[in-house]
Amino acid sequence: MGVALMGWLAGKTVRLVGESAAIAAALKAQGAALVAEGDCDVLIHVAAPQPARPVHELSHAEWRAALDAGLDQRFLQARDFAAARRSAGKGGAVVYVGAPEQALGSDQAAAAGALINLTKTLGVEWARDGIRVNSVLTFDQGETLGDLVAYLASDYAAYVTGAVMGVGLDDG
Amino acid sequence: MPVPDNHIVAMPPPFEEPPYPADVFAGQTVLVSGGGTGMGLAMARAFAQGGAQVAVMGRSLEKAQEGAGKIATLGVRVHAMSCDVRLPDQVAAAFDEAEAVLGPVTLLANNAGANFPVLAEDISVNAWNAVTRIAIDGTFLCSTEFARRLIARGQGGVVVNNSAQYIWTGFPGDAHSAAAKTAQATMTKKMAREWAPHGIRVNAIAAGFFPHETSTAGRREGRTEVLQNMIPAGRTGSIHEFGWLSAMTCTPFFAALTGQVILQDGGESLRRSLMMPDYVPPREREEGPWGWR
Repeated sequence: MGVALMGWLAGKTVRLVGESAAIAAALKAQGAALVAEGDCDVLIHVAAPQPARPVHELSHAEWRAALDAGLDQRFLQARDFAAARRSAGKGGAVVYVGAPEQALGSDQAAAAGALINLTKTLGVEWARDGIRVNSVLTFDQGETLGDLVAYLASDYAAYVTGAVMGVGLDDG
Repeated sequence: MPVPDNHIVAMPPPFEEPPYPADVFAGQTVLVSGGGTGMGLAMARAFAQGGAQVAVMGRSLEKAQEGAGKIATLGVRVHAMSCDVRLPDQVAAAFDEAEAVLGPVTLLANNAGANFPVLAEDISVNAWNAVTRIAIDGTFLCSTEFARRLIARGQGGVVVNNSAQYIWTGFPGDAHSAAAKTAQATMTKKMAREWAPHGIRVNAIAAGFFPHETSTAGRREGRTEVLQNMIPAGRTGSIHEFGWLSAMTCTPFFAALTGQVILQDGGESLRRSLMMPDYVPPREREEGPWGWR
């Protein structure tokens, strides 16, 4: 079944950082308006999987680049998003999307592990700002990923925060 | 304490606006264990909102029938049955009956459970067996009965299990349920792997506090109102949003979703602080949410 037009995100503005055709399609199909910058209701941050290499062959600069993309940028952009939401007096939702924790290199294991506990932490720290934070860690690039992320971003998931999940069986 | 006015509480859409079309489960039958009351009834109603025919199973036929009446008002065919999910013969007979009346069961919601906070030293063998076997053996027996039938027919299907938000932390003062609910979540992941080749998906919801008429945890002066500010989200869960997430995992929207345990607790299980109130063992608590003795 293709994505039904249920309007989960009708009237919401969403900033999608990173590339995901499935997520972009699902967001639009559910009524979201994608915005490139400025205040928005939802921040979705997608980090592309990096090639897995033996950790002892990584230079510090390569290691740092992986952690910057997989962790630092994710935190900093969410921090700015949450600050803008608080200024606007509105709630919001953050969804992090990336590869499974143990499926690639040690750089990914470190970044994803940190992201998992960051998700749980920010989900509670910002709960009373009405800002929810969740993560989906998977290689899935199909419609289920798009629909799951759109659902988590929507008010239908109003009681889901600090949750980390995968899609298929690639996360264990 | 009420939730302060300057806090923002995220709210779900109303029950009348489910997240999926009214025919998303058309032509399918769901079997819901413990579907006559509480969280099972919420699951059953959510499936009915998607057009599924509902087989409601309960230890008490009367409660199952009462629940079935509420589900039928949503315009779907419903059948109530009595079954003790700890007994393989009764489980097989219930599936026979559900399939004879409503047709092949392609969706299963394992919700049957018993839970009552009690000190570990006060858990009798009977109480331990009741709580653990309804959840652990019941989920095993219903899921395997379901899967064997689907595999024999070459048909896919979906299972959703009602687990709990305390499966990762333990739950001092509720040892039997802590053990039972984690077993449900871990078998969810393994069954998902075993049955993926057969097109059978298995997921679980690690549910927080969704007050309903039969919940024991909300029994307190002032009812559940006083509990709202205790939860990071600023409220207890609305039971229909639990039903929806459970049913959503079974829809084609999430066709690739399997082996997942999804936390839905408003952040309740993730509360953590550097400074916390002094630790009082359950045995010495004058007032848990429940009162220990």
